[in-house]
Amino acid sequence: MTAATIIIPMPRAGDGARPAPGAVARQRRRTLLTLGGMLACLALIGGQLVRLGLRGGPDIRMSLAEPLAKSWSRPDIVDRHGRLIATDIALHSLYADQQLILDLDEVVEKIGAALPGVDAAELRKSLADKSRRFAWVARGLSPRQAQRVHTLGLPGLAFRSELKRAYPLGALGGHLVGTVNVDNKGIAGAERMLDDTGRAEAVQGPGRTLKGPVRLALDIGVQHALGEELKQASTRYSATGAAGLVLDAAKGEIVAAVSLPEADPSRPADWLDPARADRLAGGTYELGSIFKVLTIAMALETGAADLDRIVDVRQPLSTGPYTIRDLHPPGRPLSMREVFLYSSNVGAGMLALEMGAEAQRAFLGRLGLTEAMRTEAGPIAPPLLPKTWGRTETVTIGYGHGLALAPLQFAAAIASLVNGGLQIAPTVLAGAEPGERRRVVSAATSAQICELMRLNVTHAAGTGRRAEVEDYRVGGKTGTAEMPGRGGYREKAVISSFVGAFPMDAPQYVTLVLLFEPQSGEGSGTGITAGLNAAPVTARIVERIAPLLGVLPRRVEAGVP
Amino acid sequence: MYRAVNWGLMLLTLASAVGLYAIKYSTRQLEGRVQKQERRLEAAENDVTVLMAERAHLARPERLEPLARALGLVPIGSGQYLRIDGSEAPAPPPRPAPQSK
Repeated sequence: MTAATIIIPMPRAGDGARPAPGAVARQRRRTLLTLGGMLACLALIGGQLVRLGLRGGPDIRMSLAEPLAKSWSRPDIVDRHGRLIATDIALHSLYADQQLILDLDEVVEKIGAALPGVDAAELRKSLADKSRRFAWVARGLSPRQAQRVHTLGLPGLAFRSELKRAYPLGALGGHLVGTVNVDNKGIAGAERMLDDTGRAEAVQGPGRTLKGPVRLALDIGVQHALGEELKQASTRYSATGAAGLVLDAAKGEIVAAVSLPEADPSRPADWLDPARADRLAGGTYELGSIFKVLTIAMALETGAADLDRIVDVRQPLSTGPYTIRDLHPPGRPLSMREVFLYSSNVGAGMLALEMGAEAQRAFLGRLGLTEAMRTEAGPIAPPLLPKTWGRTETVTIGYGHGLALAPLQFAAAIASLVNGGLQIAPTVLAGAEPGERRRVVSAATSAQICELMRLNVTHAAGTGRRAEVEDYRVGGKTGTAEMPGRGGYREKAVISSFVGAFPMDAPQYVTLVLLFEPQSGEGSGTGITAGLNAAPVTARIVERIAPLLGVLPRRVEAGVP
Repeated sequence: MYRAVNWGLMLLTLASAVGLYAIKYSTRQLEGRVQKQERRLEAAENDVTVLMAERAHLARPERLEPLARALGLVPIGSGQYLRIDGSEAPAPPPRPAPQSK
């Protein structure tokens, strides 16, 4: 245009010669023609814009719908030593543009043959809707599956790359790790924590997050050892389920947590199966005699009794409709130490009664056992408190019935008792700062509880003597709690448990083992009581995990005696 | 005179257009190379992630334990800890295998 204007010969000043009249008219016609052409072009562009604006319709809406199919990019999850637990992998996902599909029958038939996991009826239904231009066909395809579909050459189908969570360790630590949904969004456990704390990012396509890995407190070596020993114990004692926990007594870090049967993070449906529910954090149980640790601690802390105090347990204790008896009545008064060693229900009930319901509730409240608790991975099942906390409830709670707790919450309370008396909160993250910690019992009470727990394992009369691991100074308390059923308690269905700690001279770790409905074997040394099953299982676990946790054997630490 | 200037300007415009086109073409080529490198980087990152996941899968304790036991190895025990000066107490005897039902 500019060049055309320049090359038009214009009359020059002082030239004197006038252009021919025909030439001027020609120039004017050319100019008008050019302007007309430009106006026509502008009119065309304007008309097209108006048409697009007025038309609107499904085309524009469809083009917006597709990018909304986003997914979440998540940081890796590693264990306390940096070993990989979960990571994002880019995989192909297959989608369809319904308007570009030429032969629906062919697509459904060929996709059904290439990808057997796809529901043909569901696929037909979603692809038949021609008003839409986007529908997922299959997500998270392996490279081989994607190639198989690609070679079919079906029009209307296309791939997009998406992130999918991979769990290379399978079900190991599954309940703690949690799982994600089909959009890679966390729905349980530590995975949900990543979403709740903003560590997971919404992305279009396979954009990987630049955030560093999240380090769990979990030690996969310890987790595996605990799981293996519990699986063997579950088979050996024909238990319907088992659970175990290893907790750092000072920091509250959950080093290992197993609940059998396990839940596999790569199968989100496991989280909907009640049989695979997490028994440590997701269920509450009346834990039985392991609760006596709390009753004795309460008596010691309030100054109501010392370890040499004599309690007359010769007669059964009657309260309300119940008569409380001891499993093996000693037939003589017992000292507080012996109440613990013999696991006397009558003794624990009498001590609880002496201190009263208010003091009991206040003490349990101080340990954080009367209110709901949570970890970063989600809430722990809240405690089931008695509707009325009267005389009967005070007695039964004294020996572990009438108040149902999540085992994780109970283990945290025991850790607070044995670590010198400072309250800890269970955490799934490694290296979390515990902050200002509240004292729940005095250091003296904590030391006495440690002494009792160790005595229960080393003394010939102790119910926990089968938990002894000489080199690691295990201490603990057994519990055999009848499970509630219709119309009362089921005598032969029990939860056998052992809450322990090691090394007992300065406890570093708290362990909790639960066997659900163990069966009695044949011959001596077998039975359903915890001293015969949960205690020896704890010994095997401690023997195996203590070296992994760097706890030095006593004979090496102390040298030749 | 003006005609010559006009021709000169027109040639300059054409030359500029050709130059601009050449620069644009080369920019597009460079952009293409950058995109290609980014795609390769992304693919390499993905390969690394897959390899790390595979390594973790192959090194999972559930798989290694039976292999180690088949080689006659056992979990580390307290008896394997020694003091450098050899002054530790003797190791306790190993725990007997649990009784089966």
